[in-house]
Amino acid sequence: MRVAIVGVGWYGFKPSAPELSFREMMFEAAVRAYRDANIDPRRDVDAFISCQEDFWEGIAISDEFATEPIGGVLRPTMTIAGDGLQCVGQAYAMVKTGAFETIVVEAHAKPSDILSIQEIYELALDPQLRVLEVKNPLFQAGLDAVAYMRRSGARREHLALVAYKNKNRGLLNPRASHAAPVRLEDIMESETVIYPMGRHEIAGFTDVAINMVIASESKAKSYTDKPVWIEGVGWATELGSGVVEWHSWGRMPSMRTAGLMAYKQAGIENPLKQADFAEVEDRFSYMELLALEELGLGGVEGVPKLLESGYYHPKGGLPVNPSGGSLSLGVTLEATGLSRLLEAALQLRGEAGGVQLKGVKRAIVASWRGPPTYTSMVVVVSSS
Amino acid sequence: MAWWKKGRTVDIRHVEGKMETEKYVYTPGIAGLELAKALIEGKILGVKCGDKVYVPAKTYCPDFTRGELVEVKGPWTVETYTIIYEDMYGGKLEKPQIIALLKPEDAEGGLIHYVNIDPKTIRIGLRVKPVFKPKDERKGLLTDIAYFTIEH
Repeated sequence: MRVAIVGVGWYGFKPSAPELSFREMMFEAAVRAYRDANIDPRRDVDAFISCQEDFWEGIAISDEFATEPIGGVLRPTMTIAGDGLQCVGQAYAMVKTGAFETIVVEAHAKPSDILSIQEIYELALDPQLRVLEVKNPLFQAGLDAVAYMRRSGARREHLALVAYKNKNRGLLNPRASHAAPVRLEDIMESETVIYPMGRHEIAGFTDVAINMVIASESKAKSYTDKPVWIEGVGWATELGSGVVEWHSWGRMPSMRTAGLMAYKQAGIENPLKQADFAEVEDRFSYMELLALEELGLGGVEGVPKLLESGYYHPKGGLPVNPSGGSLSLGVTLEATGLSRLLEAALQLRGEAGGVQLKGVKRAIVASWRGPPTYTSMVVVVSSS
Repeated sequence: MAWWKKGRTVDIRHVEGKMETEKYVYTPGIAGLELAKALIEGKILGVKCGDKVYVPAKTYCPDFTRGELVEVKGPWTVETYTIIYEDMYGGKLEKPQIIALLKPEDAEGGLIHYVNIDPKTIRIGLRVKPVFKPKDERKGLLTDIAYFTIEH
C-alpha cells in the first residue's frame, strides 16, 4: 500500500508575523491544507501529529495547545519534539500499519517571539559544557565546516557558491523572505561571523505554520488527482548528539543512515540518477555540500567539483534547493524539514510558480534539526 | 507606556512573558563527580570502552556498555576549530574567540575549549596543551582549565 501527501497549507514565511499568534497561524495553515485536500478534519482524519518543542513556544507542555487549532479535539493527537519530517515519518509508518487512513502532520515556528533565541540555543548544550562562555551557540557549525573543508578539499569559494546559488534563486520564490541579489564577491568579502562563514552563509529565521494531510493510497485517490507519493522515509540520531565532543567532525553519519533507509524503501540504488531534484539542508552554506555527500549525491567527481560545474544549479543535472533553500526561506525551527517538503510537493504538483522546474517526477528531501543536535531526516517523494 | 494606560488597542503588540529557567540544578552523576574531582587535581578523565577511550568521561559508552573512568594525558592536538566574530544577535565581539575541539592522541572525542593564541596561527593538527587555573581557583568545572595554548 502506498502513502501520499494529499493536501498542503501554510501561513507566514515572513521574518515576523505579528498579526497572528502561533496558534492562529496553525489554524490558518490547517484550514488551507484541509481545503486543498477537500477534507473535513472533524470527520475524515484518524490522527493528528504536531512536531514542536516547548522552549521555542515559551510554554511548558506545549502539546496541550496542539489539538484545538488543527481540529483534533477528542481525536488521537500527539506531538513529537523534533523536525516536521520526523512527524511525516511517523504518519507514513502509521498509515502503513493499516490502522490509520488519513493523518494530519503539522509544524510551526514563531522565532520572532523568541527574544532570547541565543540563550535558548545555549540551553540545548550539555550543562558541563555550558560553563564555557562560547559567544555564539552555533559554533559547532564552524567546527564542522572547517573539518569538512579539510577532508573534502572544498574551498572557501565553494561555500560562497552555495549561498550565491540559493540566495539569488530565492528571488523567484514568494515564500523566500531572506532571498537577496548578492554577488559572489559580496559573499566572499562579507565580514566573518563564524569562521569560515559570513552573514550570507548563515540562514536567518522565519515565522511559519505548515500543515500536510497524508493518506493511504485508496483514500488519496478519492481526495485528489495530484497526490505526491511518499516513497520512503528515514531518520537517525548519531553518536555525538548528546555528548557533542564524540561527534565525527565534518561528517554527518545520521544523514547517510537516514538517506539509505529512505532509498531502500523507495527502491533507489543510484540517487544521483534516480532523483530529478533535491531540497537539502542548507541552514549553513557548508551544510548543503556535506548533506549532498552523505546522501550519495556527489558522484565520482565529488560534491565540490559538481557544484563548480553547475550540476546543482536549477538547469543542471540535479537541481539542488530550487526553492532557494533555508538560506532564502529562513530556518523555521521544527518546521524546517516540512518547509522543504512543501517546496518539493509544490514542484511535483507543478505549482511552484517562479521556481518551477520542468518535467520533475521525483525528489529527495533532507533536513537536520540543527546544532547542537545531530539528528537527520530524509523523505523521497514522487508524482507518479 | 503600557497599552492599557493609553487605552489604545493599536498599542497592543505583545503580551510579555518570562520563562522561569534561571534556577535549576543539574546532578553531575557518577562520571560528572569524578571528572569534577579530577579537574581540581589538574587531571582530565575519559571513559575506557573496550580498547578505546572516549573524552569527556561519561558513565556509559557509545556501544551502551558501562565504561571505566581513566585519566588521559595527551599530547593534545587541534582536531577542528572555528573563530567567532559575532554573537547570534549580530553583536560584534571585542576580540574574536577561538573555539576548538582538542583531541588527546590516545583517545577518541576530546574537549571543546578556548584556544588562546593569535587567530592567524590556528590550524588543524596544531599541538596544544591545557593551562589549568591556580589550584585555589578551581571549582570542579570545565573552566578549571583556563584555556589551551600552543605547546612548544
